[in-house]
Formats: sequence, C-alpha cells, structure tokens
Amino acid sequence: MAKGKQMGLSRRQLLIGAGLAGAAGMTGLTACGGSGSGGGSDDGSAALTFTWWGNEVRNANTTEAIEAYTKANPGVTIEPQPGEWNSYWDRLATQTAGNTSPDIIQMDMAYISEYGDRGALLDLEEHGIDTSKFLPGTVDSGRIDGTLYGVNAGINTPILMANPELFEKAGMDMPDDTTWTWDDLMEIAAEVAKGADLDFGASSVFSADSMFSAFLRQNGKELFTPEGLGFEVADATAWFDMMMRFFEAGAIGTAAQISEESTKTLDQSTLAVGTGAMQVYWSNQVEAVNNASGKEMALLRFPSTTGKATDRKAWYKASMLWSVSSRTEEPEAAVALINWWMNSTESGMINLAERGIQPNTEVQAAIEGELSPAQQAVSKFISDIEPELAATPIAPLPGGGTLGAVMFRYQTEVLFGRTSTADAAQGFVDEVTSNLTV
Amino acid sequence: MSAISELSHLKVSKARTPEEKAARRKENSRDNKAGYLFLLPWLVGLVVITIGPMIASLYLSFTDYSLIQAPQWSGVDNYVRMLEDDRLHNSLRVTFVYVFVSVPLQLVVALAIALLLNEGMKGLSFYRSIFYLPSMLGGSVAIALLWRQLFGTDGLVNQVLRLLGVDATIGWIADPGYALWTIILLHVWTFGSPMVIFLAGLRQIPSMYYEAASVDGASRWSRFVKITLPLLSPIIFFNLVLQVIGAFQSFTQAFVVSNGTGGPSDSTMFYTLYLYLRGFGQFQMGYAAAMAWLLVVIVGALTAVNFLLSKYWVFYDD
Repeated sequence: MAKGKQMGLSRRQLLIGAGLAGAAGMTGLTACGGSGSGGGSDDGSAALTFTWWGNEVRNANTTEAIEAYTKANPGVTIEPQPGEWNSYWDRLATQTAGNTSPDIIQMDMAYISEYGDRGALLDLEEHGIDTSKFLPGTVDSGRIDGTLYGVNAGINTPILMANPELFEKAGMDMPDDTTWTWDDLMEIAAEVAKGADLDFGASSVFSADSMFSAFLRQNGKELFTPEGLGFEVADATAWFDMMMRFFEAGAIGTAAQISEESTKTLDQSTLAVGTGAMQVYWSNQVEAVNNASGKEMALLRFPSTTGKATDRKAWYKASMLWSVSSRTEEPEAAVALINWWMNSTESGMINLAERGIQPNTEVQAAIEGELSPAQQAVSKFISDIEPELAATPIAPLPGGGTLGAVMFRYQTEVLFGRTSTADAAQGFVDEVTSNLTV
Repeated sequence: MSAISELSHLKVSKARTPEEKAARRKENSRDNKAGYLFLLPWLVGLVVITIGPMIASLYLSFTDYSLIQAPQWSGVDNYVRMLEDDRLHNSLRVTFVYVFVSVPLQLVVALAIALLLNEGMKGLSFYRSIFYLPSMLGGSVAIALLWRQLFGTDGLVNQVLRLLGVDATIGWIADPGYALWTIILLHVWTFGSPMVIFLAGLRQIPSMYYEAASVDGASRWSRFVKITLPLLSPIIFFNLVLQVIGAFQSFTQAFVVSNGTGGPSDSTMFYTLYLYLRGFGQFQMGYAAAMAWLLVVIVGALTAVNFLLSKYWVFYDD
C-alpha cells in the first residue's frame, strides 16, 4: 500500500518535472523573441500569480503595467487574477486555505492584520523592498507589530466632498474648512439642506469609521491600539449623541434615508445624484464622483473640535497595499515586481493616480503633468495637509475590519428610535470587543 | 403481473441444473456490475461532492479554523458559543418568521392560481408560463436588485401610493420594521413551481367524484373542501416539505436586498447569511461549520415533525 502510494507520487513528480521542463523551454523561447532590451533585475525566470480587485480603468492599467514588466523582464511570467471587491475576499480566503494563494496580492487595510498576523504574508523588508523615496508617513500603514506586510499602493486621506452648485443654490458661501468645528458642520449642513431643498446636508458622516476615528483622535483616543480597542463606551456614546444632534437639526436626512443610503454604490450616492450637498469619502474617489455626477466637487477637510485645522489629527491612509504571500516560491521576484511597480516612472505613467496619489515623491513629480485636473487637485490637497498630520493609525486588529459595519447597525437602531445612544454604544463596544481575536 | 416479471419468472423456473444456476449467478453479477457502473457518476459525486465535505465540515465544526491557519481542535467550544450569540438567536428568529409566514402564504397563492388555471380556460399553457416566470427569476440577483429599487423610499411602490393620494414616505427596504416583509413578498411572488405541481395534482383527481357530488347538490365550496383538498393533500404535503427546506436555505434575496449586510439593523439577517458572514467575513469557518450543522438538525427536526403530523391530515387514495 505504502509502496504503491510512493510509486504514484514519484510518477506525479515525474509529470511535474516534465511540465516544468516544458515551461522552461517555453520561457526560453519567449526570451529569444524578446530581443533582450535588458531588464535590470533579470537574474532568472519566475512564474508569478497576481491578484487585484478593481474597476474597468484599473483592470486596463494593471494589465498594461504587467505587460510592460514582463516585456522588460522576459524571464518572468505573470498570471493575472483580476477580481471584484465583493467576491475578492471570499476567493482569497479560500485560496489561502487551499494553499494556492496568489504570489502578489492587492491588500486592504481592513484585512491586512487578518492575514499578516496569521502568517499568511511575507515580511517585505526581509526580501529587499525599497521604500526609500516614499513620502514620510506613508510606509507605516502596512506595518504590523514592526513587520512590513504591505506596501502603500496609493495615498488616501478622508475628506468631505462638497457640491459648490448646491451651496450657490442655497445662497451660501463655501465653508471655511480650515477653521470649522463639528458644530459648524452641523449648522452648515442643516442650512444648505434647507436652502437648497435637499434630503441630506451631509451624508455618511457618522457611519464612516474614518470620521469616528478622526473624532476619537481629536479626543486623544484611537480606534485601535496594539492591545485592543482604543476607545470606551463613553466615547462611542458621545459620537452617537453628536449624531442625534445632527439628526434632530435636519443635517443628515431621515432614518430611512440614512439606512437606504448605506446600501448604495458610488454612482447612486447622494452626492453623485444631487440629493446631498456634502459627503464623506476617500480622496482617491474624487474623480469617480465627478464622473458619476458630471460636477466638479470641492475637497474639504473634516472638522476639528478646536476650530484649527492643525488640530484635526489628519492622516494618510494606504488606499490599498501590495502584499506577497508567505508561501510564495519566488519571494525575491515578487518583491522585485512591487519595487518596479511603486518606484519606476514607467509604472507610474501607466497607473497614474488611479490607486491614489503615488507615495514615491519622485514618481509623483514625474507624472504630475499627466494627471487629470481632479487628480491634480487631490495631489495638491494631499501635500497641503501635511502640517495637519498626526501619527498614522494602526491597521484594524484581526476581527476589527468589520467595526464600521457593526457601528452602523447600532446607529440604525438609535436613528429608528429603537434604543438609546448609551445602550447602543454599550452594545457596539461589547460586540467589537468580542470580535477581536487578540 | 407484468410481462417482464413473468419472463423472469419463466427463467427462474427453467434454471434447474447446477450449471444453469451458476450461469445465472454469473449473469446476475454482470447485471449488477453494469448497474453499479451506471450508478458510478452519481456515486462519485455523492461521495466526493456531498459526503466528503459533510464529514470535513463536521470535523471543522469542532475546531477553531480561520481559513488562513490550519484548524485547531477546540472541542464543543463553537457549539457553546452559539448559546450566547445574540445575533445568531436574532437570525434564527428572522429565519423562522420568514419560513412560517412565507411558505404557507406562497402555498395558498400557488393553490389558488392553480385552481383558477384548472378551470379549463383558453390559453392555459400561456398563463401557466407567465405565472411560472417569477420562479425562474425570483432567486436571481437581478430581481433582488429590482426589488431594492421598487421598494426604495422613492421607488415605484411609493410613487404609485402617492398617485393614490397616500403620503408614502416609508423606506420599505430601509426600515427595519418592513424590510423582512418585502423579502417575504418576493418569496411569495415566486409561487410558480408549487403551482405547477398543484396543477398536475388537480389533473389527477377523477372528474367522476365532482360529477357525483354535483348530482348530490354539493356546493362549490363543499366540493373543494370534501374532494379537492383531501385528494390533493399528498401534493400539498410534498410542496410543504420541499418549500420549508428550501426557505430555510434562502440566501440570495436577503444577501442582495440588504447588500450583504443583513440590514437594516439585522432585520433581514437570515441564518444562512449570518453563517456566511461569520465564515467569510470574520474568518470563523469552524463556527460557521457548527452553525451549518445546527441548521441541518433544525431542518431535519422540522421535516420529521412534518412527516409525523402528516398522518393526521394527508389522505392517500389507494
């Protein structure tokens, strides 16, 4: 029995060997055809799998960049595995469980510690990742307990987008985002909603975990600390109470509208369809919202408690990250590809600002002229807010990626009058705490 | 006795000598082999696709399994945790409401339409197809998305209500008090498959019963209650069992209508949706496996109850 099994194995090994030989022969052929334009890091052949989620624009960029890389490095073959956000994580989890994880993985902040802490991702610094030209504060997003599991693929920062036409319609000036407080935001939102006859003055303010994070940071807390949750029931209660003040002031729509808004895609969002004057977004979404609405949105800083923008504890977030599977057979080749992706002008010219503003300052300077007006505005905004930055928040702990969803569920209960803010805050904190697996 | 069994009987009576008996055994075993060979595709499927994963999932339900790391034995931890999981209890409540409301409602609608169609109207096959259509579409993502539009705050339903002079501002999908009911409505709307089965059942009832009853002066209602219902009861039972099992496994509608969240505030959090969110959203595949086994037990128990109760109301003609 055991012998037979061994025989079977050796036959399979033979077949795999033959297959590899065939593959090697084929890469040899393509190497001959590739006229040897001299890729720098070409020290051997490697077969890599590469997965990302995205949209049509990103799929085109990414495919083009992969082709450019394999052309310059004829020894490397890359199998692209494009995906779509909703099914991406199911597939990645299944692949990881089945030991067939792609080598290069487009990662999200919400999941990086889930995978990193469980040993599924490679320590990139150990394999020669180069982030020397990155803007200060943009590398740490992918660092978990001192290990770099992901490289920032594009800089993001939370913003409020505003539709200037609706402010004009309401006969109002655009708010001064360098001095406004949360109360100012409430009054302005209520006023513009009334003046321009809108459903929402501002939407997604309280359901966005980025805004809760900003609120906490301004009060000396954080969403997460390395030890666990970075805030207490009292902080969540204060956040929910503020939501109810906005709600009662008519600044953020009715309960049903808020609930409905949460299920909508960017194309149908209040700002895109013109039923709201302001909405919380990430900075890399400006172009998409402009396209969907046909308007030119203004970028506003989120408010502060003191009325000074330098106190608002802003931060850069990685819109997404590049990670490598810890089980890859080609760690060096995978890291080399990421180095090229993030640090070469060639890749920068192809990808532009689609994944966010390039963290490599030299690449960003080289491509600046190629960016669309909206992307240039984002780029300017990103550099303008540098004096307002505070420490980069750590990635959500394992089990903490769903914090925003849990929070919104309890907020819905409060908005529909089914529970008090204090009870909801207690339930929210209890549930998030029990979800954390540390 | 049918011709075939008569033939085999002849054969048996012929095989008298030991040689003949041996030959027959050989032939029999060859027949069996052929039978198993034909069965093989299904058998392989059953073992590889159904039984194997079921055993694996039973094992996983006793482990702590994050999908990313290897499973670790944790005994009955997952099952104990289920006792204290409020969201799980809520998902059970939501699912039971859904099953116990939508299944009977759907069967009543299906039977009513089947009775109408059985009146021998013109263009029966056309109407049958029209009424069956929602069943083909109802489980699809497209219809669930459409449902979300129809029942939105500014959706078609509210627009029609406003035309009728009702001040309709309810967000049917957005309000936790109504969201589940829109999904129940969606389920009832997909009455096509039980309807077709009812229709086939109605055709089986001999018309002489009705003729005899009308000769005796029985009203339409008493003909329905005294003849149609008893003779149709095995079909009703069949539909009931299938629909109950199917309703417990509903996933797509809630997933799409709530955008995968089970919201607003867990009001459409079906058991299967919660299981999925636990497994794939929170990387607790061991817990999800335990939940799956609880579902097996619940559905199994309810089906058993259904069969036990059937003794009291299902009438078999033969």
